Amino acid sequence: MLSYNFKYELKQLLRARWIQLLSVVLLVLFGFSAFNGIQKVEKRKLDIAAAQEEVKENDAMMLKLLDSVERGLEVSVPRWTIPSSPMAVGNYHPRVAAMEPQPMAFIATGQADLFTHYVKPTVYGDDFSLNFTEMTSPVQLLFGSFDLAFVVVFLLPLLIIAFSYNVLSSEKESGSLRLLAAQPIGIQNWVLQKLGLRFFWLAVLVIIALTLVFLVLGINPFTQARVYFGLLGLVLTYMLFWFALAFLVNLWVGSSAKNAVALLGLWVVFVLLVPSVLNQFGNTLYPMPSRTLMINEMRSLKAEVTERQDEILDNYLRDHPEFALNDTTQQRGFWHRYMASQKLIKEELSPVVNGYEEQLQRQQDWIGRFKWISPAIIAQESLNQIAGTATKDYEGFRKQVVNFSGTWREHFMPFLYNNQDFSQADYDALPRFTYQKETALQFGGLGILLVVSLVLFATGIFGYKKLSGAGILDQA
Amino acid sequence: MIAKTFLKETKELLREGRVRIAVIIVLMLLGVAVWISTRHYQNVNAQYAMAKTAERVIWDNQGEKNPHSAAHYGTYAFKPKYPLALLDQGVDKFAGTSIFLEAHNRNEAQFSAAADQTALARFGDLTPDFILLFILPLLIILLGYNSFTKEREMGTLTLLQSQGISSWKLLLGKWTAVFLPIFLITTALFLIAGLLLGNLKDFGVFNWSSLVMMYLVYIGYYIIFINIVLLISSKTKKSGISLVISLCVWIIACLAAPKAASNIAENKHPYPSRQEFAANILKDKKQGLDGHNPWSKEAKLLEQKVLQEYGVDSLHQLPFNFDGYRMQKSEEHEAEVYLKHYNYLKDQYTQQAKVYRGLAAISPYLPTRFLSMAIANTDYATHWDFADAAEDYRVATQKFLNDNFAMNSQYGDWAYQADASFWKELPAFEYDPPELKETLKSNGSNLMVMGVWLLGSFGLLLFTTKNI
Repeated sequence: MLSYNFKYELKQLLRARWIQLLSVVLLVLFGFSAFNGIQKVEKRKLDIAAAQEEVKENDAMMLKLLDSVERGLEVSVPRWTIPSSPMAVGNYHPRVAAMEPQPMAFIATGQADLFTHYVKPTVYGDDFSLNFTEMTSPVQLLFGSFDLAFVVVFLLPLLIIAFSYNVLSSEKESGSLRLLAAQPIGIQNWVLQKLGLRFFWLAVLVIIALTLVFLVLGINPFTQARVYFGLLGLVLTYMLFWFALAFLVNLWVGSSAKNAVALLGLWVVFVLLVPSVLNQFGNTLYPMPSRTLMINEMRSLKAEVTERQDEILDNYLRDHPEFALNDTTQQRGFWHRYMASQKLIKEELSPVVNGYEEQLQRQQDWIGRFKWISPAIIAQESLNQIAGTATKDYEGFRKQVVNFSGTWREHFMPFLYNNQDFSQADYDALPRFTYQKETALQFGGLGILLVVSLVLFATGIFGYKKLSGAGILDQA
Repeated sequence: MIAKTFLKETKELLREGRVRIAVIIVLMLLGVAVWISTRHYQNVNAQYAMAKTAERVIWDNQGEKNPHSAAHYGTYAFKPKYPLALLDQGVDKFAGTSIFLEAHNRNEAQFSAAADQTALARFGDLTPDFILLFILPLLIILLGYNSFTKEREMGTLTLLQSQGISSWKLLLGKWTAVFLPIFLITTALFLIAGLLLGNLKDFGVFNWSSLVMMYLVYIGYYIIFINIVLLISSKTKKSGISLVISLCVWIIACLAAPKAASNIAENKHPYPSRQEFAANILKDKKQGLDGHNPWSKEAKLLEQKVLQEYGVDSLHQLPFNFDGYRMQKSEEHEAEVYLKHYNYLKDQYTQQAKVYRGLAAISPYLPTRFLSMAIANTDYATHWDFADAAEDYRVATQKFLNDNFAMNSQYGDWAYQADASFWKELPAFEYDPPELKETLKSNGSNLMVMGVWLLGSFGLLLFTTKNI
């Protein structure tokens, strides 16, 4: 029976031009979205490269200036930007702390349009003044991006619904159900086989279309085989979930139109409502402390610290007796006082700053606990993770940059408090930043999806007879 | 005949379980959304009021200080929320809420809510605008997809024709039956919102005319959707097909087109990255006067010019402190540089807006979204307006401080300190959003696009349903 079904189903799909139509639609959607993603990634790469290039040029200039200063020549730049002063290097020659895109970054924009991909921390200012948001028009952020993740999470389920809402009901409506009832096969097995075959063909088309699009756009999926197969696995499992829903609806609901309405209702619930409701709950349960009030707090603290600058410097030097030993001049100026106060401000404000990260973490955990309610969330999160554009990735980047900015500051402290000039010889020892992706690829979400889908299928197969007491023909 | 068709359709809708369930769900969602938004709104406004007064206290109590130190110390401008944000949050979540106003630098608005949320926030929020823009059109589809197809499927169309009903009467009856529930829901929502806003305290200036205008925009949006859904229903043979096609239209209009538009707009007219933007500004700033650098070429030129103007031969003989004067001149130069670069950004956005308008041809959602945000004062234009007002205030503040420095001290006297009471003389930052009239004027093209959609969809519907 399976082989008959297979043969006729394929013939039917070809004659109804479903296969042809789906191929074209998939190619267009995948192509357009992947193209968009690649453009974004290209821009990101170019921006970072340009920034690195600029630093290189600036460094060459700095070394030239240092050379002149060391040879006792007059230089024609403002006094406070002469790089023999360590604070000038720390402020006017910052390093680029960049977050290079992951190989699959183009599949999901995630948070990439919201956050910037490189910053240049200086010794002046504090970690608050590091602005990690990107300059994007908020309209664009509101509408989001037409990326591969959007096609997979939002559109693919709709294609599946259109493809499978009337598998059983159309037989009822055209009267061929009676013929089927005469065949030696249970109705749920028959629907299962039919949907299974449709899943098979759609899966084949999706795999071919994706691979083709990747190849045409110049990405060799097999250099990243593990990630690529992970991606395919995720997409197929997500599809399986929607087919499982279609299976249940086909068995239990009724006429074609009713099926379509029921499936669409489910789509709205899973893709639109559950995510926004969960997000709302997360925000209400773990509200972010007010940023505006944080500004007030920070300002009062700074005002207070500025008044006690001298005292703070004294305390600082007492804690660091090595500076008093190494330096014979004991000159103390603006920067000595400033850096010591900044250190204090940073320490005192760190509970406030950590408050934000902790609250974000709590929201994240809350979502993690309930994300299985909606497969759309699992799929979107996993795609973001594969792309390296998830909330966690940007959080990691922020932390690494803040650490680096600390290292950068600390690097100049001995120079400053020893009143020692920065020289050409010190150039090579300047700290450098390399971004490290912290989150390993996890396909845990995939497992949850698979289990949910299988449970749904099992419910259909074993629960059908018990629930519908009457025979299928009575309903027809 | 129109009334009879209308009555029959309404009865059918009322008797159908899924319509009842759907309407109840939509009403429940709306209730929750309004409740959440009201809470959120009150919260934000309370914080705003608190932050604003606290910041002013900090500014007023700086004590004796050099005015230029105070300029570096700076102050903050906070963005308030406006009443209709209760209905449409617009881009508020993605735009910063506070701007640091200091000497020499124009800062971007910082701390957008979205940056402090998880990626889930990108799916959207359960707010009234989400339901108004996405869910109600879905309800329209549910109410109307089988308006005509069911008559075909049950064979009652022939019966109807034998009754001698003209097709436009049939159409009008069915149209009204779909329109009425949507009309009632929307009207109720806006009435409740109006009453809420009228009664809540500290809700800023709320006027009914904006609310009514917004209401009309949404009614127009729904009429367009009803026309489209009925047109599809009258042209297809099966209910299932009609539903699937209507749904495709919804997806394209509400989900795909805006996203595609945002991608195309960005590709064609990109914004510079934040760091690039800052670097460009720095480059231009270096070309001109730097208030902190009296040795630069530009500073020397200014010196000569001023000496000549006053007919004296040393800066000490000037009737004001030249340091303060130079600071002010450099501030003016820097303000110009910022103006140039921000105008470039605005130009880019104007170009992007054209792309959005172009794609409005396939999506009535786009003009509605823009109009609704604009009327609610939660759109990008209002954000720009606020940022510009803050910048004007910053420039004025710098002049206020530099003038004090220049007029009350001698050249070279950096130890000068202004009185502790001086800071109170700085007027507070006040910002009023654009009035409804201005908003509508600047959104003329969106209104026009909506008008074309309305007329076009009506015309097409009447024209094609002449003989069903």
